[in-house]
Amino acid sequence: MASVSDQPSNIERAFLLDAVAKGVRADGRGPTDLRALRIACGPTHGLAEVQLGQTRVLARVTCAVARPLPDRPTEGLVQVSAELAGLAIPPSPQTTAVEVEEMAVVSRMVDRVIRQSRAVDTEALCIVAGQKVWSLRLDLRILDHAGNLVDAAMVAATAALRHFRRPDVTVDGTDAVIHDPRDRNPVPLSIHHSPVCVSFAFLGHQPAAAASAGQEVVLLVDPSRIEEQIMVSRYTVTLNPHREVCALSKAGGAALPLALIQRCNQIALVKADEINEKIQEALKSQQQ
Amino acid sequence: MRPDRREDDEVRALHSVLGLLNRADGSAQFSSGRTSVYSGVYGPVGARVYDEKLDRAYVVVRGRADAGPAGTADRWTESAVRETFERVVAAQLYPRTMVQISVQVREDDGAVDAAAINATALALIDAAVPLRDTVAAAACAVREDGSAVVDPTLEEIRDARSIHTFAFAASDVSNIADLTSASICPIYVDSRGEFSVAEYDRCFELCARAAQRVLAFMRTAIEDKVSKESQIAGSS
Repeated sequence: MASVSDQPSNIERAFLLDAVAKGVRADGRGPTDLRALRIACGPTHGLAEVQLGQTRVLARVTCAVARPLPDRPTEGLVQVSAELAGLAIPPSPQTTAVEVEEMAVVSRMVDRVIRQSRAVDTEALCIVAGQKVWSLRLDLRILDHAGNLVDAAMVAATAALRHFRRPDVTVDGTDAVIHDPRDRNPVPLSIHHSPVCVSFAFLGHQPAAAASAGQEVVLLVDPSRIEEQIMVSRYTVTLNPHREVCALSKAGGAALPLALIQRCNQIALVKADEINEKIQEALKSQQQ
Repeated sequence: MRPDRREDDEVRALHSVLGLLNRADGSAQFSSGRTSVYSGVYGPVGARVYDEKLDRAYVVVRGRADAGPAGTADRWTESAVRETFERVVAAQLYPRTMVQISVQVREDDGAVDAAAINATALALIDAAVPLRDTVAAAACAVREDGSAVVDPTLEEIRDARSIHTFAFAASDVSNIADLTSASICPIYVDSRGEFSVAEYDRCFELCARAAQRVLAFMRTAIEDKVSKESQIAGSS
């Protein structure tokens, strides 16, 4: 039977903080180690399944022809929807509110990164200016919640977008012919860059006070669920393979010294490279 | 001739994974060819006072299609799974609790409801929820020329005149040679489109035979899992 309350006990909390202060995490990782990342794409175009430790996310890209927005007649549309599948967390009256909040954070993050940082070339989605454009829909489903949904969801979104193939189109003035995928091979999306998120959790009481008192501040990369439940602050950097920052997110939580943020950014560069390599491998192996 | 060159009574390659999810009490992925469905079970767990039944567990099913906003396809899958398992789960053993089944379609290449029922049967066994019987489902499509094909792909469904999904209990179909609609009772039936009684009977028989194959497959999958687990337990 699933437990009624999801929150860690005081003993668990004290044990984890003590272990982390000595540089050991509950699952045996070092403070800057990512969990095992597994990416599986296809066979359907635009389907990607990502496992980050035991967190499991499914991403699916689909497209349809639509009218463009009146103020952006030459741009296609991108819509991101993230849902926590009933599989992901045990049902309980408390979890519904938590569920809604967490999923809002994940949707907002992925949506912001994909749309506002222009990961997908929306001008390339135009078919007939002012009349027909491709409207992409990215569905994210969290299948198993074991912490750090944002990073896993972003990898799944990036992999799915790069794996996706849309039908080929021939345009003649204002007439457009959309070719059946069986007649003409579908074409990949035009992708400007592939963003990847790296999240950090901060454990302790007051990291800012601890730093000034000369104590080592505990930062952890890729927090697991229990680490997320006891953290005092969270910071997410979104980077692309060109070493550009797409987004930074530190919403609330305990105050952090700037030097710590800069250290996180340096670590994130290394981690983002690791993650990007894995995505490349997964896409290449699928093509063979 | 079918697009993938299968015989009319040939089911696609079956594949399953049990216990793949960490948080769910029981989980399974069931695939038939490219159709693939996840099912996860939590239960028996506490139910809201509003939902609890005094003499049995409350079985609730949530389903989602592979893409797109929530819609009627989700409700069809949910109702297929719920109607099949409401009477199969031994709910009287757990009054005032809830068994929550969540179905997530991974890929839809036809016969999704049947795959959802099969995935849920495996997930319930993985969760160790007591069941009256094991259940297996299969689907059939009747083509324009009146011939019936089992385990149809999405393409075959689009060109079909009628589609039928059946779920059978293991005790009704195992080791039985006479698989006609006159002699056995299915647990779940869903028929859509225009069809004659003869076409229905043909589909019934094809699906009953396919269900036997699915049951044999499920048995192997579960035996595998149990033997692996007892090895781990034995070695520690």
